[in-house]
Parts: sequence; structure tokens; C-alpha cells
Amino acid sequence: MATTIERMRNIGISAHIDSGKTTLSERILYYSGKIHRIHEVKGKDGVGATMDHMELERERGITITSAATNVEWAGHAINIIDTPGHVDFTIEVERSLRVLDGAVLVLCSVGGVQSQTITVDRQLRRYDVPRLAFINKCDRVGANPLKVRDQLEEKLKHNAVLMQIPLGLEDQHKGVVDLVAMKALYFEGDDVRTDEIPADLREEAARRRNDLLDAASMFSDELTEAILEDRITEDLIHAAVRRGTIARKLTPVFMGSAYKNKGVQALLDGVVRYLPDPSEVKNVAIDRSAESGASAEVVLATDPEAPAVLLAFKLEDGSYGQLTYIRVYQGRVAKGTELLNTRSGQEIKVGRLIRMHADDMEDITEASAGDIAALFGIDCASGDTFTDPSLNYSMTSIYVPEPVISLAIKPKDKKTLDRMAKALNRFTKEDPTFRTFVDPESHETIIQGMGELHLDVYVERMKREYNAEVETGMPQVAYREALTKKVEFDYTHKKQTGGAGQYGRVIGYVEPMAEGTYEFVNDVKGGRIPREFIPSCDKGFKAAVKKGDLIGFPVTGVRVVLNDGQYHEVDSSDNAFQAAAIGAFRQVYAKAKPQILEPVMKVSVEGPTEFAGAVFGSINQRRGIIVSSIEDGSFSRVDAEVPLSEMFGYSMQLRSLTQGKAEFTMEFLKYGRVPAAVSEELQKLHAEKKARESK
Amino acid sequence: MIKKHLITRSPLRVFEDATHGGPGKGAVAVLASPKGVGKTACLVHIATDKLFQGKSIIHVSYASRVDYIITWYEDIFKEIAKNHRLRDAVAVHDEIIKNRVIMNFKQDGMKTEQVLRSLEAMITGGRFNAEAVIVDGYDFALAEPDDLQRFKDFAGRMNLEIWFSASLRETGGDMFGPDGTPVLLAAHTGQIDVLVTLEAKPEAVEIRVVKDHAHPPAGILPLKLDPKTLLLIVQEK
Repeated sequence: MATTIERMRNIGISAHIDSGKTTLSERILYYSGKIHRIHEVKGKDGVGATMDHMELERERGITITSAATNVEWAGHAINIIDTPGHVDFTIEVERSLRVLDGAVLVLCSVGGVQSQTITVDRQLRRYDVPRLAFINKCDRVGANPLKVRDQLEEKLKHNAVLMQIPLGLEDQHKGVVDLVAMKALYFEGDDVRTDEIPADLREEAARRRNDLLDAASMFSDELTEAILEDRITEDLIHAAVRRGTIARKLTPVFMGSAYKNKGVQALLDGVVRYLPDPSEVKNVAIDRSAESGASAEVVLATDPEAPAVLLAFKLEDGSYGQLTYIRVYQGRVAKGTELLNTRSGQEIKVGRLIRMHADDMEDITEASAGDIAALFGIDCASGDTFTDPSLNYSMTSIYVPEPVISLAIKPKDKKTLDRMAKALNRFTKEDPTFRTFVDPESHETIIQGMGELHLDVYVERMKREYNAEVETGMPQVAYREALTKKVEFDYTHKKQTGGAGQYGRVIGYVEPMAEGTYEFVNDVKGGRIPREFIPSCDKGFKAAVKKGDLIGFPVTGVRVVLNDGQYHEVDSSDNAFQAAAIGAFRQVYAKAKPQILEPVMKVSVEGPTEFAGAVFGSINQRRGIIVSSIEDGSFSRVDAEVPLSEMFGYSMQLRSLTQGKAEFTMEFLKYGRVPAAVSEELQKLHAEKKARESK
Repeated sequence: MIKKHLITRSPLRVFEDATHGGPGKGAVAVLASPKGVGKTACLVHIATDKLFQGKSIIHVSYASRVDYIITWYEDIFKEIAKNHRLRDAVAVHDEIIKNRVIMNFKQDGMKTEQVLRSLEAMITGGRFNAEAVIVDGYDFALAEPDDLQRFKDFAGRMNLEIWFSASLRETGGDMFGPDGTPVLLAAHTGQIDVLVTLEAKPEAVEIRVVKDHAHPPAGILPLKLDPKTLLLIVQEK
């Protein structure tokens, strides 16, 4: 089926964990006719929601990977990219956001805007994604969608405009009043019954409709005139709301209860009415073929006839081999299309092209600009750009944060080793924030990631998907070392007794640098060090900063300025100058007053006010600094900065302190200096470890 | 300049000299002025001065968003650091902000008892030894009769000093009584130990001590607000 661009939507469903996102996705699939039975996320039938297709997710009731699925609604093709809801998997969220043109922000009508909603909203904002809000769970006790709309305005600074008001709340929730059509919508089974607005709601509906018209008319002179002349049409309102939404200056607010099948169809109408089609979103790539190495930004044309440009945004290892999810930005792909992977330089030929519906798939003949599809049997990494061989574009690279935590893993037995290696190879391709290497000293396999839960999930996946059971060590925080003082060095590396000699002398200074990890400045004049050995010095220093002397962690924020030196006609070599640089760094490192830095996390704890004291105490106990606490009625939120090394086991402590009523999120904030006592302890442990290893 | 000098040369020493050492522990002080004169800046300056002295403070806000308050602190710190060429400003900043907690409440529907309970939870539960509580945005017009007494009792019990800002509004009549006491606060003067008003005069913002414990008040102080930075500065003679 070929869909015109105007009838395509690529949307994400973003939400706080537990706000009912997966249930909503499920209902959307159901109403658009993709599935014929409704399962619950933690369904007793053991089937689980279709979008949540990983076994592990089923068990935890959370969504971990983003699956793209295609549905049809009102003559439109909607690709839904399911975005993960947990903050530990931020990279997954961000990667999904890269390919979205619009999003539905799901909120809980009881919990409202919670800390994770704020994180998710910030991410949507970073990628300029227009959004609709859906206030879910209107059937719950304490549901208050109007309060949630206020929070959208106050906490998220949205120009949130009600498109509906509820027809009853809690167990009386039957549907919504559509403020554009001014009709009551009753959701009964699979049908929507349209009726007159009940008398007791007419006045409120009229008032809210006026608010809607006021807000919408800001984006349409035509509507403003129509209001004055009293000839408003639904189409005029839709067009104005659409314009405001796409400009990200207005957020239409829908509501209902996905679980009770209320409001889903009206939300889908909103998606096709107000969210942009792919041609209405500006996408840029970097032209890597630009002259003189300068990369030039190019705006991509959402034109099926232009040369192809596509982005691989997600890899999955299924039972049929590697599946690569792609978003086509320009041109088209079909079976047999030749494409260039602009990162690796490899040319590929498209084999099978499919469209996904969670676990099921449909073969398609082609995908064109704006579409999302999946390729089979393509070897690539997530984030790679494919283009027509005549182009050399790269889609702007996705921001990848440095991992903050690592874990040593050991296969249970020899046979497991191969499977573990296969799994790790797959995961590192799928997720750039997940890294793995073998520690050259301990010979242990180390995995690194963004948080405890992040690594837990991969350990679980190894077991379930690859039958590779591993033993894990204690999670290890990624410390850094940093200089605090500028110091000069003058070091000679000399070995001239017998055999080929070695000689190199380096003079200069090292100093702390606020931004960046390492910089090498060559200030050597008059060939005091021959030009061919300058890169050797750089290489030597680079090797030296990989491990500081305090606790053996990388040294960050170092500027090395080399301004003098000496060489020997015969005995100087690449190796000699590398050794000189390493020697120089080691020589002056202690004088540069190094200190240990640790990752500090931004932690937000939310829960009932009655537990505030316990929460304050728990943060204080963990060397945390409370930045602020916000109380709104019986609900409070505490924002704090806490060292990651102190956050282990926090979820359990918090659960027991608050009877499970509080929850927290955390994300990496900065590297901060560790207190003297902790620094001494870390150095002592490091010295002990070294002593053990040298035995 | 090093931190020590910054403390001794602070214009707040002038204020303390004029008020028998300032409010002191167990006392309630109020800084009152019409909107837009510079109350919040002045309060943040008072708080920052305490932070420089190594004291811990809790900033209670009824109105502003947390990030907005943090911006105030950042701006005031930057101005002080710049004016006095503070050495190691970044390190000093990182050190002192550890001693500041911001607590945000909504006054409507939030009882003073609840606010004080949360403050106590922060001090005892969070082991945060605040020496002063700065209360900004509290609406005295909405105050229940006993509220200020509750704060005063709390200050005594927790052994700390509480600073309020009071926003004075045009109500038709006079804003200030004959002795300079704001009409809005007339009912509360029994609970207020130190009362200071800010009044915008054509040449500068006038700072006047209207109440000083049981002592006769000092009246207009030789201080003013810098119109650009809103910092308190000593008036040149």
C-alpha cells in the first residue's frame, strides 16, 4: 500500500512508568484492527501486551526496547515507536525520539506530572517534537484531569489546551465531551456513541470551548475573523490547533482511560488531525563530502524521488536474524536498492523489506521518504546512516553519554563463554551506552552502562535470550582523576647501554582544563623535537592519562603543552618519545595535586508528604545534598544530588521507608570531587588490590 | 579578597550594629516593602551572607519556582564575588551551596503546621542544622492569627532565626502607619522582633529599622540598594 506523505504519521508514546502507556498502545492496535484480542500488561493469560514484546519486560511490566509498529486510522498510516519509560534507558528513548515527528505524552490523571514526565518532556523538547497530551486513568479514584492540565502549564510550561472535558470521573467515567464538535462521546464497547452534551455539563463545556477558541485563534487569523463573525467551523478550529501544535506552541489535551476503553479513538483522531506529517518536519544531515573537511548541514527533502537517505535507529536480534529498523528521510528503498553505509563505507543491497507489527511482520515492496520499516540481514550498528551511493550524508549523530557504572561478569562455565560473547556483541551494537571490554590486568570481562538497572537488564537478557548465565561482581562506579595544578615537566628517556639505544627528552607543562577530557598542544619551535616524533609524544601522553596513579582510573580534563625537547640522531624513535611522554606524566602527576572525581547523579524522589522526613534522612545518609523540596498538598518531591557510589540499593531502602509509596528517578549530572575521607579509602583499596595482583 | 574579609566588610554588619546584633536565634524578622523594590534580592543577600559565614539556611518559598530562586542566589553570589574580587569563587560557591536547601510550598491549602512539620523533618530527619530560615512570598493577608506565633515558637524550639519578606499592597489607605510600621503587619508586631522596611525614594531605596527587639529602633540606616544589582551597599557620606 502506498501512502501519500500527507497521510503518514510517525509518533511516539512517551510517559512516566506505570501511567498506562503500554495499555494505551495495546488499545490503539486493537481499535486500528491490528490485533483482535486485548491483553493486559501483566495479563493473567500470560500473553502480555503486544507492544511489550520481550519476555523480560512482560515480567516487569515495563517496556524496555522500542518496537515500531504500523497501524491505520482514518485513512492514515501511523507508525508508532514505543519508547521506553525508564530513565535508566535514556539512550533508547532519545534514539526513538530522533525518528519521531510527533508524540503523545501520556499522563496519569491521579499522579499528574511526575519527575519522569518532566525528564521525558525535556527529551521531547530537545528534539523539537510536537506533542499531544493524553490524560489517562480517568477511571481511577482521585482522577482529576483538569488539575493535570494545570500542571502541564505550571510544571512543563506547556500552553495546554483542553480539547475535551470528562463525562464523569472515577467509576462514573463514561467518555468525554468533544469541545470542537460540542458533542458528548460515549465509549461503549468498541463503538463510540455521539450524543448531546448532558445539561449539567453544557455551561462548563461552553466555557472551556471559549478557552480553546481563544488559544487556537492565536494561530489563525481566519479563525479569529470567523469567531467575530460567528461562523466558526470545525475545520477552522482543527487547522488552527494543528498549526499551533506543529509550531510547538500549543499542546492539545485529550483524556480517557485506556484500560476501560475510553477516549482512545478520539485520541487517534487527534493524532491524525494535529500531529505533523513527515514533510512538515525539518530534518538535517551532515554532508561529509563537503570540501576542505568542513562538514556542511543539508536539509533533507521529504521527496520519494530524491536520492535515498535513511537512518538505522534500532537493531533487534530476532529468530530470523538481525532486524534493522530504519527511518527513510529522503528518496525510497525497495528490494535490490543499493545503499552506502556512510560510517563504514560498506555498500549493501536491500534484501527483504518489512513493516513490523510488534511480533508479526508484513513484507512490503518499498518504503519511501517519511516511512519507517525494517531490513533483514544488514550488518550495521545502531545509528548508522545509509544513503544512495551518490551521497555521503550522515544524520546528525545522536548524543551518547559516557557510561557511569561497570560490572565484572564471568560465564558460569566454559560453554557459556561463546554465547556470552555473542550476546555482548549484539548488545553493544544495539545500545551505544552499553560497552564491554576485557580488563587487561584482571582479565575479567567488564560491562559498562548508565545505571544498575540498565546492566541488570542486559544480564537478564543474556540468560533468557542467549542462554548465557553469568556471575556478576560488585557494581563499580566509573571514577575519574583530575589535576588541580599546572606543573612543568622536563623528562629524558634514555637507554643507551648495548643494542639499539633509546633517547627522547620532552619539556613542557600539564594543566587542568575545565571542559573536555584531553588536549595536546604542540608548541615546539625550531625542530627541537623532529616533526615525526610529535605524534609519538601525543600518543604517549594519551596512554598515560588512561590510568591515574591515585586509583587507576582515567585522568580527565588534562591539557598537555609540549614546548621543548631534545632528540638523538640515531637513538630517537617513536617508541622512545612515547616512553618519554609517559615518563614525564608519571614524574609530575603527584605534583599536579590530583584528586578523585566521582559521578554525581541528579536524584528526584516523589511520594506522599508524610514520608518527607524519611526521604530527607535517606539522602543525607548517602552523602547527598538536598537541593530543593516541593510540596503540593499531600504530595512532595525532593530533588537532590547524590554520588552514584552511594545509590546502590536505594530503591529497596526507599520502598521499605515509604511502604512502597515513593519512587525515584536518577540521571547523570556531573563529575564531582570526592571528600577526603572517601578519597583516602579508595586509594587504600587500590593499593591493596595492586599488592594482591603483584603477588 | 578572601572569604573572611568579605564577611567582615559585608554591609550586613552595618545592619547588625544598628539592631543590637541582628534578630538572633529564636527571633522573627520581617523585611517589608511594596512589590518590585528589591525584597527578594535583599533576603537572598542576607541568606548568602550567612552562607559565607558557614551557616546553613533553609529558603522557604511560597510563590516562586525553585529554579527561579536558584537563579537569584546565583546572581547575588556572582555580583558579590565580582564586586569583591573573591578568590577561588567557584570553590567557595560549591562549598556554600551545600548548606542551602530550598523548600517550596503552596500557601493556599497548606497549613502553617504542615510547613513547620516539613521544616522540622528537614532539620531532624535530614540532619540539616539550619541556623536561619528565610521565608519568601508568604502572604500576610492570608495569614491565620496564630501563624506568626507558630513560626516564632518554632524558631525558639529549633534555635534558629527566621526572616520573612512581606509584600505591601496599595489598599486605598496609607501603606505605613505613623511610626513607620506597615499597616498590613500592625496585628503581628507582637511576634516580630526586628522589622525593616524598604521604601523607594527618588534618590535611592531607603532602609529603615522600624522595630528592634525591645530597643528604640534605629530608623533610617546608612545603607541603600544598588539600583543595578539590588545588592545592599553602604551609603557614601
